[in-house]
Amino acid sequence: MAKQPSKNGVHAERAPKPKNRIAAAEADIEAAEAEDHADESVGEENGKEAASNGRKPRRATAQSMAASQRDISVSEFFAKNRHLLGFDNPRKALLTTIKEAVDNSLDACEEAGILPEIWVHVEQTGTNRFKVGVQDNGPGILKKQIPLIFGKLLYGSKFHRLRMSRGQQGIGISAAGMYGVLTTGKPVKIVSKISPKKPAHYYEIKIDTKKNLPEILNGKGEGVDIPPNEAGRQYIEKHGIEWVEIDHGTRVTIELEGKYLRGRGSVDEYLEQTAIANPHVRIHYQDPESGSGQTEEKLYERSTDQLPREPKEIKPHPYGIELGMLVAMLSDARGLTLSQFLTSSFSKVSSAVASKVCQTAGVGTRTSTAKVGRNEADKLFQALRETRIAPPSTDCISPIGEELLLKGLHQVVPGEFYVAATRPPAVYRGNPFQIEVALAYGGMSSANKVPFDVLEDLLEETDARTLRQFLTTTFYGLGSDAADQIIKEADLSPRTSASKMKPAEVKKLHEAMRNVNLESGQTMNVLRYANRVPLQFQPAACAITQTVMGTNWRSYGLSQSRGSLPTGPVTIMVHMASVWVPFTSESKEAIASYPEIQKELRLGLQSAGRKLGMYLRRRLKVKQEGERRNIFLRYLGEVATAVSDINNADRKKLYEQLLLVAKKKTATADAKFNERGEFVDPAEIELEKDPSVLIVEKPNEFGIKEKAKGNGQETS
Amino acid sequence: MAKRPRKTVATNNGDAKKAAVNLSDRDKKTLRDLVSLADRIVLDADKKRDPYLDIPARTLSNIKYNKTKRFLEMGSNSNRRQLFNLSQAKVYMQSLLVASGSKRLIDEGKTTSLRGLYYMLKHSIEGTKEETFDDQTQSDTIIEDMEVTLNSMREELHLYAKNAGSMVGPITLTDTGDEIDCSRMGSGGYSIPSIVEPEVVQFGKCTAKFILHVEKDTVWRRFNEDKFWKTHNCILTHGGGQPPRGVRRMLYRLHNELKLPVYCLLDNDPWGYYIYSVLKQGSINLAYESKRMAIPDAKFLGIRSRDYERCELSPSVKINLNDTDIKRAKQIAAYPWFEHKKPWQKEIEQMLKNGFKLEVESLISKDISYVTEVYTPERLKEQDWLD
Repeated sequence: MAKQPSKNGVHAERAPKPKNRIAAAEADIEAAEAEDHADESVGEENGKEAASNGRKPRRATAQSMAASQRDISVSEFFAKNRHLLGFDNPRKALLTTIKEAVDNSLDACEEAGILPEIWVHVEQTGTNRFKVGVQDNGPGILKKQIPLIFGKLLYGSKFHRLRMSRGQQGIGISAAGMYGVLTTGKPVKIVSKISPKKPAHYYEIKIDTKKNLPEILNGKGEGVDIPPNEAGRQYIEKHGIEWVEIDHGTRVTIELEGKYLRGRGSVDEYLEQTAIANPHVRIHYQDPESGSGQTEEKLYERSTDQLPREPKEIKPHPYGIELGMLVAMLSDARGLTLSQFLTSSFSKVSSAVASKVCQTAGVGTRTSTAKVGRNEADKLFQALRETRIAPPSTDCISPIGEELLLKGLHQVVPGEFYVAATRPPAVYRGNPFQIEVALAYGGMSSANKVPFDVLEDLLEETDARTLRQFLTTTFYGLGSDAADQIIKEADLSPRTSASKMKPAEVKKLHEAMRNVNLESGQTMNVLRYANRVPLQFQPAACAITQTVMGTNWRSYGLSQSRGSLPTGPVTIMVHMASVWVPFTSESKEAIASYPEIQKELRLGLQSAGRKLGMYLRRRLKVKQEGERRNIFLRYLGEVATAVSDINNADRKKLYEQLLLVAKKKTATADAKFNERGEFVDPAEIELEKDPSVLIVEKPNEFGIKEKAKGNGQETS
Repeated sequence: MAKRPRKTVATNNGDAKKAAVNLSDRDKKTLRDLVSLADRIVLDADKKRDPYLDIPARTLSNIKYNKTKRFLEMGSNSNRRQLFNLSQAKVYMQSLLVASGSKRLIDEGKTTSLRGLYYMLKHSIEGTKEETFDDQTQSDTIIEDMEVTLNSMREELHLYAKNAGSMVGPITLTDTGDEIDCSRMGSGGYSIPSIVEPEVVQFGKCTAKFILHVEKDTVWRRFNEDKFWKTHNCILTHGGGQPPRGVRRMLYRLHNELKLPVYCLLDNDPWGYYIYSVLKQGSINLAYESKRMAIPDAKFLGIRSRDYERCELSPSVKINLNDTDIKRAKQIAAYPWFEHKKPWQKEIEQMLKNGFKLEVESLISKDISYVTEVYTPERLKEQDWLD
């Protein structure tokens, strides 16, 4: 049976014609049986022989095994292996569902050139049951496509093209729907509208896991059209369809078994991180508690009206292909000359480059591709490698950009110093990609600023058995050292059960969390993104985390033990934008470690790190200078008093004069020399003028305003 | 030391205000020095310069052995102490506090102990929890600094140290108006005050022929009990280990004014050698006062390294030398004032060879009064001493 492994390693069939396929398979089996029939007597003889020799007869024969060998539907495969798609536990299932829906919505809006506005609505319908509704203001979906998009796995527009998008495989949202049906039996409900004058289409869909086909439940298997008038509105009202009245857009509602928890790896965190990397998106979010009136709808307002540049679809780049791929492409391109083939199949290959390649390979530019044999192909492949070809065009990737990175990070992560670095695009396996790094320094840990009622809720919701576990798993950047410090300060036992704490204990804990200085015990908070989608799980398996840990942050003024994340109040955001992000699994949780990617990551991190180092060195100097001045100031009063006691000089006048001398003394050190008495590198003074750097003015501990000032852009 | 050139004599009505107190000439001189010190700071601040104090260095490297005068003298090196220097800012402030404290004492005509001044000046700096002085050692060193800076002695700053050291013998003296007969002082003796300047202590009648200075109180008591001073007609003193400046000044005055030779009976260890060295040449710390304290003619009577064998002492009295002792002994042997004295080199060498030290009390193993009845008289009679 023909099994074609697809790129993502799933035994998938495109263009399935299930009935025919199965018929064909059955015919195959029959034919095989007929062929095998001749051997049957031999087999039996063998069997007898074996028996007479005292051996047992075979448990199953090739024939009996063949009877049970059959096609595996993609849907069945994923229904059994739901963890591959991110549905391993109820909490993650809820997140994955929302994530897939939001990602699709954002992709659709951006592709249509609409500034995205997303409504996310999570409602608890029973113990461990949630109804998730996600609506966008996208272009809407054509009626006949709706069931396929939401009810069929591996159906989509994004797999076959080389273009940057959030979704890639066409699995996500249909898998979420399938999970919902599997766990609650409730169908997936879709409303989509493409223009204000046209009717909205309403579908209730179940996925047939055996056939990997949608099964439409409403409107006698045809879906329902809701007219754009009063009658339509009444219909919506009557049938309890959830829909925010807009001109065009799509809403998907899935009911599923899930669990709502805040903290790390939560829905809230996903939306917050999405807002950082997508400053052009407006998100309305109702968490399960807003339904019961406990919290208001949360709004993540967009900070820019500028849509990201539209990424273009591209052809593969010669540096990225493999020999086998080249051979396949050659055999596909019949009837072309080599020169035509090279220029039309690859990006950045002009006819001049093509002839140079052919020359190096020792084949004529006019040779027909049909005549290119294995040897020539190999030579051609080598020649492609050796020839200098411009890197792939980068308009297929739309990076966030340094300015928006700074804006996004500054809006969500409090800090005093921000730096962003967007690397030039690079290529791995023929896929262009681009690495962006943004870093925020000096923010308080989330544990420091958690409000009391939120802490109470978090404690109530947590799965963690002990308080220590609760602290380290709930808050980012809070290591076990810091947790121990907090627990010690709160005078509680680390083994206290987190969910059974008395109100007085919670109060003590809250107090301790506010007071303990976590700056030193904090580990770097790494926010990972792939095509603007936050990656919240499997940090250890991800190339980003690995590269962050492999970078020597000590030379940039942070402390770090070998092979681990640096410590300090640092949040780092790393974004990989690519036409094809190499995930380690279908659940899209970690980026695979290609050397090209790791190299770019390293360079990006170093570039941000260098600027952080400059800032930290300067900060240290300013601090030392401040301390110095402070020491002088402290003693000036005593000196002035003593002197005026001795010679009756005017104490106040003397004090002020001495103060002037003190300022002059420390100011000259500020201006020209660093702490070692060397001339300060002018580049360090330039830090302020660097557009990729944002420094937030903050009074220092002595109340003397530092001269540092932000100029990246206006901050409000 | 040359007097600091006076730059300005600015507004100075401090003396006028406290006219009620009778200022001696010495006090007036000290006050003038203090005021000129303060005036210089005002001038520096006015000119936007960072103020500083030049303090003569009280270190071994800044000490010279004057061969003709046979005592230690201070060199001309000085350390600059700046207000606007991180490591010196606090000490600078403390120095001025000491100066102002001393000014107050002089103005009010009072004296106080080192500890008293420490408490007088100790307070927390305005707006902080930091204390002006953390402990007395800080103020003590700064007082010494100010002494050398102002070229004034401690008593001129109206400060005194605690009494340490006693004396007994056929001499009468007047201490702040009180007649004292040192031959009738009972078992405790006359406690030597820290200020024995002629204004305070005047000598009366003296029949003693020499001075025997012993290291510490216990030995001194043995000699006093045995009435050694009576039988040998001498003055008996001790300094409680390293003699304080009051004792040294007293010995100096007795030696120079009454022409009494000084003999020292000290332990046979580096410490004893050093005490002798201080009495004879002056100390490194107080080198600037050597001329008023050093007694270059003082003799070292014992205990000698060879006494273990000569007096046939029991092996139990040996105290093994430790590493610091050995190090110290070698340092002392290298002092320029010991370096060229062969008997001293032999003496120290012998001790190092012995590998043990001997205390004066060890002689008691022979007999309780061996030291007063046999050892010391024999040494004196044989004139067996080191110079």
